[in-house]
Amino acid sequence: MFDVIGRNFVFLMGGLLTTFELAILALAGGIGLGMLVGLARLSKNPWIYYPITAYVNLLRNIPLILVIFWFYFVMPIITGDAMAPFPAAVIAFVIFEATYFGEIFRAGYQTISKDLTAAAFSTGMTYSQTARYILIPIAFKRMAPSLITQSIVTFQDTSLAFVIGLTELVRRSSIVDNMEVRSIELYGFAAFVYFIVCYTGSQISLYYENKAREVNLI
Amino acid sequence: MNFAYDFDWSVLWRDPYGVMLIKGLGMTIFLGISAWIIAMAVGIAVGTLRITKYRLLRMIGTAYVEVFRNIPLLVQMFFWFYAGPMLFGETLSRQINRLDGLAIYVSIIGLGLYTASRIAEHLRAGFASISKDQYHAVLSTGMTQVQMYRYVIIPYALRLTIPPLTTEFLTVFKNTSIVMTIGVAELTFQSYQIDAETFHGLEATTGAMFIYLLLGMTVVKFMDLVERKYKIQGLMGR
Amino acid sequence: MIEINKINKWYGDFHVLQDVDEVIEHGQTVVICGPSGSGKSTLLRCINGLEPFQKGEILVDKTSVKDPKTDLYKLREKIGMVFQRFELYPHMTAMENITLAPRKVRKWSKERAQDKAMELLKRVGMVDKADAYPANLSGGQQQRIAIARSLAMEPAYMMFDEPTSALDPEMIKEVLDVMVELAKAGMTMLCVTHEMGFAKEVADEIIFMDKGKIVERGTYDDFFNNPQTDRAKLFLSQILD
Repeated sequence: MFDVIGRNFVFLMGGLLTTFELAILALAGGIGLGMLVGLARLSKNPWIYYPITAYVNLLRNIPLILVIFWFYFVMPIITGDAMAPFPAAVIAFVIFEATYFGEIFRAGYQTISKDLTAAAFSTGMTYSQTARYILIPIAFKRMAPSLITQSIVTFQDTSLAFVIGLTELVRRSSIVDNMEVRSIELYGFAAFVYFIVCYTGSQISLYYENKAREVNLI
Repeated sequence: MNFAYDFDWSVLWRDPYGVMLIKGLGMTIFLGISAWIIAMAVGIAVGTLRITKYRLLRMIGTAYVEVFRNIPLLVQMFFWFYAGPMLFGETLSRQINRLDGLAIYVSIIGLGLYTASRIAEHLRAGFASISKDQYHAVLSTGMTQVQMYRYVIIPYALRLTIPPLTTEFLTVFKNTSIVMTIGVAELTFQSYQIDAETFHGLEATTGAMFIYLLLGMTVVKFMDLVERKYKIQGLMGR
Repeated sequence: MIEINKINKWYGDFHVLQDVDEVIEHGQTVVICGPSGSGKSTLLRCINGLEPFQKGEILVDKTSVKDPKTDLYKLREKIGMVFQRFELYPHMTAMENITLAPRKVRKWSKERAQDKAMELLKRVGMVDKADAYPANLSGGQQQRIAIARSLAMEPAYMMFDEPTSALDPEMIKEVLDVMVELAKAGMTMLCVTHEMGFAKEVADEIIFMDKGKIVERGTYDDFFNNPQTDRAKLFLSQILD
């Protein structure tokens, strides 16, 4: 029954590779930009705070599919050239996911109390020592579960690049399905692959969450 | 840079495109609300399963949540739409595929079942924050398990869960956009359709973005009212 | 009458209750004290079947708590319970908290349940707070509502699990006053508390527990003036300083 998977295995796995490539670039860019967005959302400078807040609120209210389309339409106008689906998708994902990661970082930065910093200073540590040994480790441990969860969401989101013709796992499954009409096996297989990756990720997230809870970090 | 592009914003209101966008918005709202109703019913049931004392029921609840939240919604939609009818066997599947508005039913059910897993998870967190003695207090008055959940624990957990549910309710409307891939003419579908007919997709999608933004703000306002009505006095200060 | 007959309970390897024996007659007030972790609260939860126990027997009016045929829900209707952290239903007003069980379990009409609730609110001095939500009440007020909630089912027994230990000192008295009044009116009560003033005023018997065992029992005077074990002496010196 699953011969259709076997026959097209290399083709499908090529799609999974594209899925991973897009996910890794989206995560690297999204987390990097998100760190800055998180800082900007705590900025006291109105010229930074308001534009970034508007950007975050706008994107968080819009479906990702629409954002992907929008970038797909706008990029050729900026570059003057038709754009391949992959770079268009990377740009859309980085700009979109950065708003979600930004809110996680903002919350993470905020949970560190002033008194904790004061306590560290009172033992004679410098600011950079305090940041390095106290603030950053705590913030990261606290944020780790949310960061992993959002990374899983991003990984799943990459399937939406389907709509601009990126031949990732879902698109390739649908290409094979159009020829062979074996929807149960093909979409079942795609679901299974996503499940394995995401379930593993969610168990890792749970592990970090429990670890953080054990030491009363949450 | 090339600014040779001629903007034509009239695709947002010109006949027939303005009407298309409005119809799309109507479909988005319809799908969102219908899916939400299913999601709440299933979500409450699954969330409650996860905290019962029966191990088998808990495992069923956990399996549901893990399966639905670890598979992309798009894949779920494709599975229900293309593979779903096949699961009923050949004869029946042919009849199902002939159904009028099949894609719409699949959209509502698919989105509802997916969102249910997220609601169940929020509820579980709500249940977890209710102390063991609170359960004991209800039982000590002679109430049965069913009465305990129905009158005290579920209403309490739901109220504790209002803020994350608000976010989830907003997300439902955003997630409806995914069903454009199975041909349901909701808002994103319509803006894409306008591009196909006019090549002015940028204006159409920009317009659609602002419609989503307005919809989102309306939902937030509405949920604000709900929250004010149902919030636990003094517990969630605002 | 509640008869506790050599009950034993384990949490895994941890032996929480060891051969606990006790008889509580009608109209009696029994005070249970002892260091934390001594099994006092667990004992109360075994009596109304909220926690299972592995060995021994508990009879409430000759009905076995352990017998699988016993309807524990019916049994709990006649044993009211008050908790350390009040455990009021936060999404309901004081009135709704009190009337819920009579209406849903006893199937009383709303009017009847509310009449009963008003009578109880009067008794605990909280008539003006009938429509208040728990979060807007002080700890002492919440605890008095919780007592009224238990009394609404017209229980034959009342169990109190450290009812004043989560309260600020100035609120302890208002709760104890209600409890004293209840004891004097003839309620059969089982109280886990360290309030020795309360014990002195109403307790017919004091039980001292340590590490899952009852190590001393007697009247207030016996226990207070003439403790037999070092453990009890140490405990008394700690709570009285």
